[in-house]
Amino acid sequence: MTLNNFVAAFLTLCIFSFLYKENPFYRFGEHLLVGVSMGYAIPLIFDTVFIPYVYRPIFLDHNYIIIIPSILGFLYVFRYTKNLSWLARYPIVFGMGIVGMSVPMSMHSQVLVQMRTAMLPLDNINTILIFIGTVTILLYFYFSKAHKGLYGKITNIGVWFMMIGFGASFGYTVMARISLLIGRIQFLLGDFLGLIQ
Amino acid sequence: MEKKKKMTTWNRMQHLDRRYIYIVVAVAIIIPLLIPFNTPTYVTEPTANIYKKIDSFADREDKAILMSFNHDASTMPELFPMEVSILRHCFERNVKVFTLCFLPQAAPLVDYAINTAKEGYDVTSGVDYLNFGYRPYALQLPIILGMGEDISEALETDSEGRKIDNLKIMENIRNYDDMNLVIDFSGSASIQTWIIYARAKFGANIAAGITAVMVADNYPYLQTGQLVGMLRGLKGAAEYEKLVDVFAAYKDEEYPNGRPYSQEILKEINVPITAKNVTYDITDDEGNVERVVTDRELQYDFKKARIGMNAQSVAHIMIIFFILVGNIGYFITRKNKQNKLG
Repeated sequence: MTLNNFVAAFLTLCIFSFLYKENPFYRFGEHLLVGVSMGYAIPLIFDTVFIPYVYRPIFLDHNYIIIIPSILGFLYVFRYTKNLSWLARYPIVFGMGIVGMSVPMSMHSQVLVQMRTAMLPLDNINTILIFIGTVTILLYFYFSKAHKGLYGKITNIGVWFMMIGFGASFGYTVMARISLLIGRIQFLLGDFLGLIQ
Repeated sequence: MEKKKKMTTWNRMQHLDRRYIYIVVAVAIIIPLLIPFNTPTYVTEPTANIYKKIDSFADREDKAILMSFNHDASTMPELFPMEVSILRHCFERNVKVFTLCFLPQAAPLVDYAINTAKEGYDVTSGVDYLNFGYRPYALQLPIILGMGEDISEALETDSEGRKIDNLKIMENIRNYDDMNLVIDFSGSASIQTWIIYARAKFGANIAAGITAVMVADNYPYLQTGQLVGMLRGLKGAAEYEKLVDVFAAYKDEEYPNGRPYSQEILKEINVPITAKNVTYDITDDEGNVERVVTDRELQYDFKKARIGMNAQSVAHIMIIFFILVGNIGYFITRKNKQNKLG
């Protein structure tokens, strides 16, 4: 049993102790995670972002044009001041510009391609189900007509389709959470206690 | 003194302390991990499609794959076995493989996955595989777009600071036409960035290795053909582990470097996880099983997902049981209340 395995096992048990009830061990583990994550990220980002993309181009390669985006990025720091916090909006504006750039390509992959593959010939059970599901769910989200009578019954089919979708999501979520628990128990039994070879 | 109300068994179950359920689930997971048993692993189409795509690059100098690690240690139990299996597949079948990450926390995981997978293989960094290392998340978009034009301009150096232009692995590899498959491993929606930019703009083949939580969200991309394939949680990892053992890691006189994918072979063969060495249980048409034991050790790391799936199956049965009992209890209690009210 190595020291790092012992520390990892202790912290795992600290977090698991929350299942019994909230306690200082759990809070210690939680706060340590936040602190260590930040402590790890700050020097790594300094080393892999600031040095190669700011310091080296400006001070070693004398590529002074980099000063402009560097100042723009530095404006984020003003979010912590009361009077000059508005300056932080300028780098955000550039971020929003990038979001705008993604709109046409997002339309392609998230709307147009999805629509095209929803318009297939109804020659098998899958395409029939996709057709019924798409139409009834779209009708459910049309709120200019009251969901009553025959229209209400059709939109109810859409609700059933959505419920099945939510059920599938929930089932996968359970699977994911159990997988994480399995991973931790594999570590505790294997790497820490050596019961799994 | 107030008289305590007598509780029925169903009532008691409705008010059962959740900590008892935690204990039962923990026991249901611990026992299959301590005493593993052989269960068949059925390979689904989205997993097989990724395998076949990677396998089509075997021994080719002009093709490569890129593995993008977009996760931290919290999702390792599901994603790490996938990554190790795909790296093993590449090392077995001589497929050039690149790795990259945009999360600081993923940087050590890339090294960990490569070091775990390359045990027992004669592979060299810069020749058989290359780690581009960590790149700031803010540069994700220019890098993804830049790789569509020229990878060596978009990334310039690898994780060790070497100029990638000078490395042997980069010969005949220029952009997405050559690095023709990108697999994104993530517990978030990061696959969409690859689909929107690398797929829509450059026609790159994209595949996903995702946590089970994200599966339902990403099915539309699979159904529309924007994803080549999808490894779904621990189950996907277990399926890929089996594929690597059955095909890529298979060795005989006819196939010294692994055999090609075949649906027929997959139907006949099971790889028992309780065996120490890689073992093939081959079932013939009459149902007779012939056991072939090889001299290659089946390391724990190479069957971790399949052993995990045993525990997963038992835990799922327990959860289904609890849901059924809880619902039966709820309806009986409700009926009893209605009867009392008249």
